[in-house]
Amino acid sequence: MEVTQKYGEDELVILLQKQDQQAFSYLYDNYASALNGIIFRLVEDKTLSEDILQEAFIKIWNNFSSYDKSKGRLFTWMMNLTRNLAIDTLRSKGYKKQNKISGDENSVNNLQDTSSGMDKFDSMGIRKQLSNLKPDQRIVIDLAYFNGFTQDEIAKEIGIPLGTVKTRMRTAILELRRILQYT
Amino acid sequence: MKLQDIISSGLLELYAAGIATEEEMLEVEEGIAQYPEVAAELKAISSGMEAYVNAYAIVPAAGVKEKIFSQINTVENGKRNTVGKSQVPGAKVIDINTFWKLTAAASVVLLIASIGLNIITYYKYSEADKNLLVATQTLGGLEEKNKIMEAGMNVVQSKYSVPVSLKGQQAAPGAAAKIFWMQNTGEVFIDPSNLPEAPEGKQYQLWAFVDGKPVDGGMILTSTKGDKYRIQKMKSFGKVEAFAVTLETEKGNQSPKGPIYVMGNM
Repeated sequence: MEVTQKYGEDELVILLQKQDQQAFSYLYDNYASALNGIIFRLVEDKTLSEDILQEAFIKIWNNFSSYDKSKGRLFTWMMNLTRNLAIDTLRSKGYKKQNKISGDENSVNNLQDTSSGMDKFDSMGIRKQLSNLKPDQRIVIDLAYFNGFTQDEIAKEIGIPLGTVKTRMRTAILELRRILQYT
Repeated sequence: MKLQDIISSGLLELYAAGIATEEEMLEVEEGIAQYPEVAAELKAISSGMEAYVNAYAIVPAAGVKEKIFSQINTVENGKRNTVGKSQVPGAKVIDINTFWKLTAAASVVLLIASIGLNIITYYKYSEADKNLLVATQTLGGLEEKNKIMEAGMNVVQSKYSVPVSLKGQQAAPGAAAKIFWMQNTGEVFIDPSNLPEAPEGKQYQLWAFVDGKPVDGGMILTSTKGDKYRIQKMKSFGKVEAFAVTLETEKGNQSPKGPIYVMGNM
C-alpha cells in the first residue's frame, strides 16, 4: 500500500474527471464512511447500506462528468447522489421506514460497533458537541440532510408554515456551524 | 437578490441539502457566480454539514471497496476489449452488474416467448394453408360441376330444345332418359342420369331411328367420375323418328347388338 496521498478538492476533481483510480481510492477512503452513515440512517440495515454504498460509488465513478464544481462542494454532490439512491431503493423495495427523528441513540450504538481507526474524524467528540444543538434545530437538519424531505414535507412533519422552513434551516445550521466552528 | 438577502434567506442551506426547488437553485447559482461571498458562505455551510454527517459515519465492511474497484475495472476492461478477443482459459470471471443480468434474463425470456409464438403462428399458418388448399380444391370442383350443370341447364332451358322422354324397356323397366333436340341447330343432347350404372366392360350407346333403321348416335359417358349425370352432346341427325339406348360392349358397335334399355318416339 502506498502512503495515502493528500489531495486538495480541486485536484481531486480534476483527477476524477480523468478517471484516475488512485484518486477514486482516496475519495473512497475519505468519504465512504460518511456516506455509509447517511445510507444507514435511511435504510437501517447494514448489508443493504453497503449494497447501496457500492452502487453509489459506481455511480459517482461513472457519472463524474456530471459534477459541476461551480455549483457546490464535491461532498455535497456525492451526499445528494447517495441519499437519493438510498431513497429510491427504499421506495422501489416498498419500504415504509418510520422517520426516526430522535433515533440518534441507535446510530450512536451502531457507530461504536463499527467504528475503526480508519475514521479520521473525532466522531465521539463532535457528537458530544452536537448534543448542544437544540432538538428542534437538529430535527430540521436531519429531515433535510438525512431523510431528504422536501421543504413541504419538513413543514408538515414539524408543523410549521412552508415559508419558515428556510429560516429554520438557516438558524439551525448557523448554530451547528457555531458549535463546530465552521464560520 | 441582494448579497445579504441570499445569505440570510436560508436558500444556501436548502441548496446544500439538495432540497432547493429548481427556481431556488437557479437563484443560488446566480448568486454564487455573482458574489464570491455567497460561494464562501455555501462552502462554510457545506463544511459544517460534512462535519455533522461525519459524526455519524459508519465504516463499511472491508470488502465493499474491493467490490467497487473490481466492478469499475471490469467495465474498463470491457471498454478496451472492443475487438472481441476470445476469452482466455482460466480468465477472471466477470461480475456483470444486475441491470445487465436482468436485461439478459429478460432477453432470454422474450426470445423463448417469441420462438414459442413463432411455432404457434407457423402451425396456425400451415393449418390455414392446408385449409386454403382444400377450400381451393373444393371450390375448383364446385366450379367445374357448376359449369357442367350450367351447360346442362342451358340445354334444358333453351327455347329451341325439344325434350323427348325415353322410357324403360324390358331389360330395365325402371330406367329412363331424356333427349333434348335443338330445333334451330339440330344438335342432340342426352340426360342419362336415370340410367342404371353400366356394368364393367359395357357402355350405353344411343341410336336414332332414321327411315326405320338405327343409326349410331354416339357413346354415352356414365362411368367417368363426375361425368355420370352430365347432360352430354351426341351426334346430330336429319329427320329422326325415335331414339333408343342399348347396352353395348365398350366403344360401341356398328349396329345395336345389346338389349334396349330405354326408348322413345319424337
